[in-house]
Amino acid sequence: MEIPFIVNARKDTGLFNSKVGIWLFLASEVTLFGGLFSGYLFLRLYADYPWPERALPVLPGLINTFVLIGSSVTVVFAWAALKMREWRKFQIYMAITLVCAALFMVLKGIEYSAKFGHQAVRIQGGGPVQDNTIVEGHLHYAKLNEEGLMEEVDKGSKNDEGVFKANRVLVKASEFTFVLTRPSHEAYVEEILKQAGDSKITLAENYQVIDKDELRAGEMNRDQLVNSEAALVAEKGSELSIDLLDELEDAFLEARSHDRKVRTEFLAASWDWIRNEKGEEEASTYVVEKEIWKERRAEDAEKIKVLTLRAPSEVTFKVDPPFTLVLEPSDLVKKVNVGDPSAKLRDDTLVTGNVLPSPMIMGVDALDFRTTAQRAEAEGLDPLPVIEGTWLLTHKGHHDGHDDHAEGEEVDDRNEFKKIWDCHMAWLDVEKARLAEKDREPTANDKFRVNWDQILAYQNLDYDVEKVKAASKDKSLKRTGLFDFNAMAGANHKTPDKEFPDLHFPHLEIPRANVGFESSFTPKWNTYYAIYFTITGLHGLHVIGGALVLGYYLFFGRKMYESNPEWLANRVEVGGLFWHFVDLVWIFLFPILYLM
Amino acid sequence: MADSIEEVKKAKKLYMFIGTLLFFFTVITVMVATVEWLDFGDHGFDGVDATIGLCIAAFKASLVMLIFMHLNHERPLIYFVYILGLVMAFFCMWLIGWSKSDPIQFGNETYSDGFYDLSKPATEVHGHGAQEK
Repeated sequence: MEIPFIVNARKDTGLFNSKVGIWLFLASEVTLFGGLFSGYLFLRLYADYPWPERALPVLPGLINTFVLIGSSVTVVFAWAALKMREWRKFQIYMAITLVCAALFMVLKGIEYSAKFGHQAVRIQGGGPVQDNTIVEGHLHYAKLNEEGLMEEVDKGSKNDEGVFKANRVLVKASEFTFVLTRPSHEAYVEEILKQAGDSKITLAENYQVIDKDELRAGEMNRDQLVNSEAALVAEKGSELSIDLLDELEDAFLEARSHDRKVRTEFLAASWDWIRNEKGEEEASTYVVEKEIWKERRAEDAEKIKVLTLRAPSEVTFKVDPPFTLVLEPSDLVKKVNVGDPSAKLRDDTLVTGNVLPSPMIMGVDALDFRTTAQRAEAEGLDPLPVIEGTWLLTHKGHHDGHDDHAEGEEVDDRNEFKKIWDCHMAWLDVEKARLAEKDREPTANDKFRVNWDQILAYQNLDYDVEKVKAASKDKSLKRTGLFDFNAMAGANHKTPDKEFPDLHFPHLEIPRANVGFESSFTPKWNTYYAIYFTITGLHGLHVIGGALVLGYYLFFGRKMYESNPEWLANRVEVGGLFWHFVDLVWIFLFPILYLM
Repeated sequence: MADSIEEVKKAKKLYMFIGTLLFFFTVITVMVATVEWLDFGDHGFDGVDATIGLCIAAFKASLVMLIFMHLNHERPLIYFVYILGLVMAFFCMWLIGWSKSDPIQFGNETYSDGFYDLSKPATEVHGHGAQEK
């Protein structure tokens, strides 16, 4: 079918049809992104936590802005080349546009993967504001030692078998109780069997469901029925498997449906009875509140008890010998603490045993007390003493073997984070004085957040408060600049600072009881990342879509160019309009997500 | 619309110039956000910086729309369609105003930026440096 007016303009609109089409589409896109920007605005204005201002490294965003602007120029040049019937030039400009699109997506990929690998945890504890310290960094790795306890391993062996991220919850499992009403155990059972190793997981008791035919025959009492051969579904000692659980589930569900039928029959009979006895007018909903109905139902309940199969809805498996089950925190229905006698999985499976010490171990690249300060201020307290009393700054230091203090030095019982904080306070004093001269004040970010480049700078001065003060005064405190490629996507945990190879991000072990909310920098962490991934993700899909269309013109446009070059020019113009729109969205995204 | 070869040639120079302007203003935006002597308003990010940043972004977006997307000489139908889209987008922004008349509150908690504190007048709540109070 020939589509009219794709080369020449329609007389009434003065436009070729595809242009009207793309503008209608773009108008809907404006509305779509308008809605998302409005969502951003809403989340930001109404955030009940300190909004992560300038949380993203600027460099990838800035390069991407240049890349998209550049590609906008080249795509319009490609169109101009077609207008001037210069096929070769069209090819070159279009190819550059596509390279730009690819570069954009690669940078986005680097940025996303940095976020997925970056961990945050909100520490919970006591104090007037329940601590609320936020610590950011990279998770370390651990494995189980011979006693089944957690043991940290070197990052190099992170891909070895049995090595897991050090945010897992360890439970010494001696019993599993599966709930048969939740027919989705597969993933967990597989995982349990995988981790069980040589331990045997066997059914603790016979699983018996009364046979309904035997029940109906009425020759045996309930005890005899349960113990009859026909009632046995699975024998005590049967090994745990998905098939076995399926079998038990089937038996349970069948029995339950039988019981339900019995109950429904009784209910229906009772309704009939009350209708016939009491007359139709009174058989309304309110009848259930009357004594006569209640009495009848009580009689029913006695009869139902005899006639139903009442299969057990849970089955317990014993573990011999007990083994350590390594669980992701998100596998658990609710938080557990060391020594708890059980843990419940998301499918309601109860793991009975003992929750083992499972600290969260990480290399820390930022301390953030803004939430603590916000809560303290809301309580009318001075934030600084509250911060000084947080678990992070007061816990007993962990010697990680990295800091090489000479022997005989005066014993300093501050932990590394307290040292960092003291240095930060020294820096802040100087910064406050400097800004006061300009009639300005440090922001909450300056005051209550210690960034990775600050941590490294303080460490480089041996956490010496006086040195930090002096360096801050003469402005020699080394902080990583905006254009440091070593830290393009944020703190680089492999080589934190190329100039000073000894610098490292401090090691932190957070006991399970102090681990509050934890997540990588994904939508789960906060609404900022939720809207960031939503908008940039959708924008990225637009980049891919646009590149596919433009790529089609580049690689398959020759034939059309030869038959009617103006037709292809119009198509490229329309594709280009979409591409400019993608650039336009980014022009707003860059400042609001990276700079504000 | 540049239709003749001469016009297209002329337009290419303009595109180049606009591209350069866009690069330039991107750098300015980053500088406003990061360089201290270009930090307007209070120290660090605040409403003034946000306004400047968004104004520059709006200006850049207008350049893209007017020149690259040829809106500087387009047919009335396109303007109509485009403005319809814009109106809808601004309608979305305006919608969040509704939440102001029915704010979310968590018990008696008021946070330090005072956003939930309805006892304070709106100017005090949203005013400059409210966080420092």
